[in-house]
Amino acid sequence: MTGTTDLKLEVTDVTKSFGNVTALRGATLSARAGEVTAIIGDNGAGKSTLIKCVSGYHAPDGGEIKVSGKPVHFGSPLDARHHGIETVYQDLALADQLSVWQNIYLNRELTAGPWPFRVTRRGAMRAKARELVGDLAVNVPEVTKTVMRLSGGQRQAVAISRAVMWSNEFVIMDEPTAALGLRETQQVEALIRRIVERGTSVLIISHNFEQVMRLSDQVWVMRGGRVVNGHRTAEVTGADLVAEVTGAAAEHF
Amino acid sequence: MTTTESPRKEASSVSSNDESSRGTLARVLTSQEFWTRAAAPVALAVAFVAFSIAAPNFFTAVNINGMLADAAIPILLAVGMTFAVMLAGIDLSQASTLAFASVLFGIAYGAGWGLLLSFLVAVAVGVGVGVLNGFFVGIVRIPDMISTLGTMGLMMGLSLIISRGIPEPVSDPVLRTIASDSLGPFRWNFLIVLMIVIVLHVLLTHTPLGTHLLAVGDSMDASKAMGLRVSRIKIIGYVIAGLMAGLAAVALILYVGSTQPAANTDYVLKAVAATVLGGTSLFGGRATVWGPALGALLLTVLQTGMIMIGVEAFYEQAVIGIVVLAAATLMRGRK
Ligand SMILES: Nc1ncnc2c1ncn2[C@@H]1O[C@H](COP(=O)(O)OP(=O)(O)O)[C@@H](O)[C@H]1O
Ligand SMILES: [Mg+2]
Repeated sequence: MTGTTDLKLEVTDVTKSFGNVTALRGATLSARAGEVTAIIGDNGAGKSTLIKCVSGYHAPDGGEIKVSGKPVHFGSPLDARHHGIETVYQDLALADQLSVWQNIYLNRELTAGPWPFRVTRRGAMRAKARELVGDLAVNVPEVTKTVMRLSGGQRQAVAISRAVMWSNEFVIMDEPTAALGLRETQQVEALIRRIVERGTSVLIISHNFEQVMRLSDQVWVMRGGRVVNGHRTAEVTGADLVAEVTGAAAEHF
Repeated sequence: MTTTESPRKEASSVSSNDESSRGTLARVLTSQEFWTRAAAPVALAVAFVAFSIAAPNFFTAVNINGMLADAAIPILLAVGMTFAVMLAGIDLSQASTLAFASVLFGIAYGAGWGLLLSFLVAVAVGVGVGVLNGFFVGIVRIPDMISTLGTMGLMMGLSLIISRGIPEPVSDPVLRTIASDSLGPFRWNFLIVLMIVIVLHVLLTHTPLGTHLLAVGDSMDASKAMGLRVSRIKIIGYVIAGLMAGLAAVALILYVGSTQPAANTDYVLKAVAATVLGGTSLFGGRATVWGPALGALLLTVLQTGMIMIGVEAFYEQAVIGIVVLAAATLMRGRK
């Protein structure tokens, strides 16, 4: 009903090719502020590429991206961060041989002293990372452990904690529960609900239709590099979505 | 809040409660993680004790100080090499960079530029080659072996062309003092190298750049996703490697009293050996500065000790080669 101001994100006709592979053929979708917006689609549909364009990892070849109503051109993930966008990548983007706290603070280290004597405040970063992990009640062990030594669920929790710590505006998650067991999936979903309660907008890519039905307010369906459909989640069933993802529904139109 | 049991305790108590502390010790002593850190110091201690027993003149102040001074160049090159290897790279050009820097130092000094300017010339050569290596590895994206092999040939050729292959004597009172005088029990050149090692240690462990170098070596994708400027960080790593080669050129001149136009390629072998011995992951992302420094010291101790117990100098290369292979096998790690 209201204008475009309550749209956190608007993606219009975004295209992206890698050599002769066209990953996005003009994708259009939007995400409302304060909601959970889901993207579903088969493998290779272009979901990850789309969110990498929004997170500043890729520069789109064409189209427009607006954040809170303003057009943006991200040259690097740092630009997206400056607009309050944090991303949990599908591969998590963790440096395995660094510790949990070093990953949480990677490229945002707390420092003291004037250049060139600027040194990292290791103790402060450790303490804050520990506090964060405790507050989020996520299943992360000692923050001094190297990421390499964590389980899949713990690594996921580290990546999500990092995103949530640095933005309370907009968090994008690419298949955050794909590698997790039942209990860990529940923990991640509970965390998503908590950050939405505190006012963070969430854009989530998921393969799990039930999860999309449980968590999201809006769902977009991608196929072949395009967004082929969008619904208020309350107005569709999981079965409808399955049909749309596989393309079976196309025949009905 | 909802975090249940502390997972820290869980993991250790399940496995170690019923076993004795000897079991824990045994596990530590057989773990790869322990040996990647401890190989250099433990081997150094063993070599020290063994040679002290085998050679009567080994454990004397004169010999120990001599070895520390001898280790100056290998340590500089090893810690420099470490900054390329932690990026999952290598710098094969170090020895010829050293040669070229020494030649230009000699020319500058011979032309009456004075010690400080000549020193800066050598430093500039090191930095320049580092930028070149970093440019080809990080921006043109040629594999590190090929990039640094190319600059190796280039620098080796340039130093021979310019010098006609003839060493120039350099006799400077300050350099002589650094080479042979001591402060307390230690020779100046060792103390200066020790200071450089400490500075690089602080850089690696207590600055954002240090973490970023390790992150890029660990995962370029993750680093890019976190907004790190990967190419720039690679260039910085290679610049540090080159800079150490430039400083090593000065260390060599004050050590032998002349320039050295012909690249001594043993230096690269030794630097790689020390880097691996020091627990640096050849796949990048894991490194210390003190490990390779101790590794270089160990190689110097082995070399001196072998000579003192009467092993022919010809064996030295073969021994270092074996040490590289053994250490790399022990520490080949995951990934
Ligand atoms: N960096 C890349 N280089 C080349 N092709 C890519 C790259 N990233 C994605 N693709 C291709 O783009 C298409 C869409 O991929 P992706 O966005 O990862 O799909 P999804 O996340 O929906 O499974 C696939 O065909 C994939 O192979
Ligand atoms: Mg994907």
